[in-house]
Amino acid sequence: MFSYVFMKILEMRPRSYDRRMQKASRGRTRQMKEKIAGQMPEKGHVLEIGCGTGELAGFMVERGCTVEGFDLSPSMVGAAMERIEKENLSGRFSVKCMGVEGMDDFPDENFDAVVSTLALSELSDDERRFALKHASRILKPGGRLVIADEVVPRTKVRRFIHSVARLPLLILTYLITGTSTRPISGLSSQIKETGLSVRKEERSQGDSFAFVIALKEK
Amino acid sequence: MMFSKTIWGFLFRLFPCPTRVGLRRIGNPGPDSPVLVTCNFHLTVQRLKKILHSLDLWLLVADSKGVNVWCAAGAEEFNTHSVVSAVKTSGIGDMVTHRTLILPPLGAPGIRAADVRAKTGWQTKWGPVYAKDIPRFKERGFRRDESMKRIRYDLKERFDTAIGALFPFYFLGVIIFLVFFRDFLFDYLVAGAAAFLAFLSLCPWIPGKRGITKAILCDAILLAMVLTFEFLPGFDTRLFLPLLIIAMVMVPLYGLELGGIASTMKSDLDPFLAKHGIGAIGNISFAGTIRTEILNGYRVLTCDREICNGCRTCTEICPQGVWQMGQDNRAEMIRKGACTACRACLVQCETGAIQAPTIQPPKAYQ
Repeated sequence: MFSYVFMKILEMRPRSYDRRMQKASRGRTRQMKEKIAGQMPEKGHVLEIGCGTGELAGFMVERGCTVEGFDLSPSMVGAAMERIEKENLSGRFSVKCMGVEGMDDFPDENFDAVVSTLALSELSDDERRFALKHASRILKPGGRLVIADEVVPRTKVRRFIHSVARLPLLILTYLITGTSTRPISGLSSQIKETGLSVRKEERSQGDSFAFVIALKEK
Repeated sequence: MMFSKTIWGFLFRLFPCPTRVGLRRIGNPGPDSPVLVTCNFHLTVQRLKKILHSLDLWLLVADSKGVNVWCAAGAEEFNTHSVVSAVKTSGIGDMVTHRTLILPPLGAPGIRAADVRAKTGWQTKWGPVYAKDIPRFKERGFRRDESMKRIRYDLKERFDTAIGALFPFYFLGVIIFLVFFRDFLFDYLVAGAAAFLAFLSLCPWIPGKRGITKAILCDAILLAMVLTFEFLPGFDTRLFLPLLIIAMVMVPLYGLELGGIASTMKSDLDPFLAKHGIGAIGNISFAGTIRTEILNGYRVLTCDREICNGCRTCTEICPQGVWQMGQDNRAEMIRKGACTACRACLVQCETGAIQAPTIQPPKAYQ
């Protein structure tokens, strides 16, 4: 959990972001990304929301997918471009510098999968609903939405423990970056509102981290 | 929670204090009601709600990372993306029949109006600099008069800023005095606050162009007072001498960084650090950005008269009234000394006539 709060500080150095994040999460972020890549249809056309340095996109390309990614941070997009060049991903991974508000430009039923890791918790409620609405629109029938993100635990006791445990790093992150992430409340119900059906919701790390797979019915 | 946030936002306004991004109803707005855009600094939204309570309008709160309009726009945290995202994701398009956004003019260094128009299809208008002028702006058919275009930074405003700026510095001083000069803590509590509030409130009337010059003059007056009291027969100076000495130490410190506190003044600290090769401390840059380089004298704002089309955007948007149209209907800088390098003119100029060419390479990068 701490690594996700800490993420805002690590984002200040995009080139070493993956390595430091990997260290801070004790290898869990890489495992999570490999797990997500494993859920992708082979040779599928995938959109990644908040692609960061493109590490997950790289794993998905290894599975034969063609990935379009976008990120709001120009420095993260710069790091992703470097990865495209270094790992020769051109033609299989493309990246744009934009926010979720640009998702309305994608055509209907265009992607086999839409994925997002630790990006939706950085958005406002309006932006998140907008992103999910358009994710549902641009998915092909039978396509899947895969989200891994920080969420608010479901029970009061867990919510309390989560808030207390998170507080010191929240303060540190706030003092250094002036901002922080916000765990998502009611992620599954927000996904259902868009017409997608939630097929799987795994919780971990004291119920504060969710791995969600939703399908667009054929 | 709301009250404690307001108190925090008031006293510690140098720190971000975010509020929910999205649409707010003020009064009973309808499809024809105006749409005002603002930042998501808690204190700003609270003050706007209070000032606008008798009007019917939509308040579109866009992300500025919890910082006030001018500071966030200056740091490009309150930007075109913030506004475009708020317009597209808030659903405001379904609530109104018109397509006009009223933007905060102090947001001009970050929000490029032409890009907002291109990306949203909405028209844009600059509102008044001060929220308290919004009712009058509405009465005038959403047209600004000259007084609504410029920042005044009057006594009340300076005092308000001083209180906000005082607390972080003040507490830092309290810690230093608690650790090193505990016997003089009370003197610091009185003299530190008094010197800060008095200096910031009175700074425009103190002679001198720069903060440090003003501070040195104040110190000379304080020194004269110390000497007068010291040599005045029958006066016991023990009571107030520490107060005067602490004030003498504090005033130049405030003066050195007046630009970081008083929005219409320039910092003396930034050029000093940049000149000596210190480009940044943590996230705070003293060199390398267009603003710091203009302030530090490495770039200069100019208008290319061949390109300028006389659209008057620069004269409209500059909060200091630095630009005016010349006889040939081209922009010319008439109050260079008043320019605080906020970059509003540079960002908003649609033809690219206003430029900031480098005249000397920044030492921080040599």
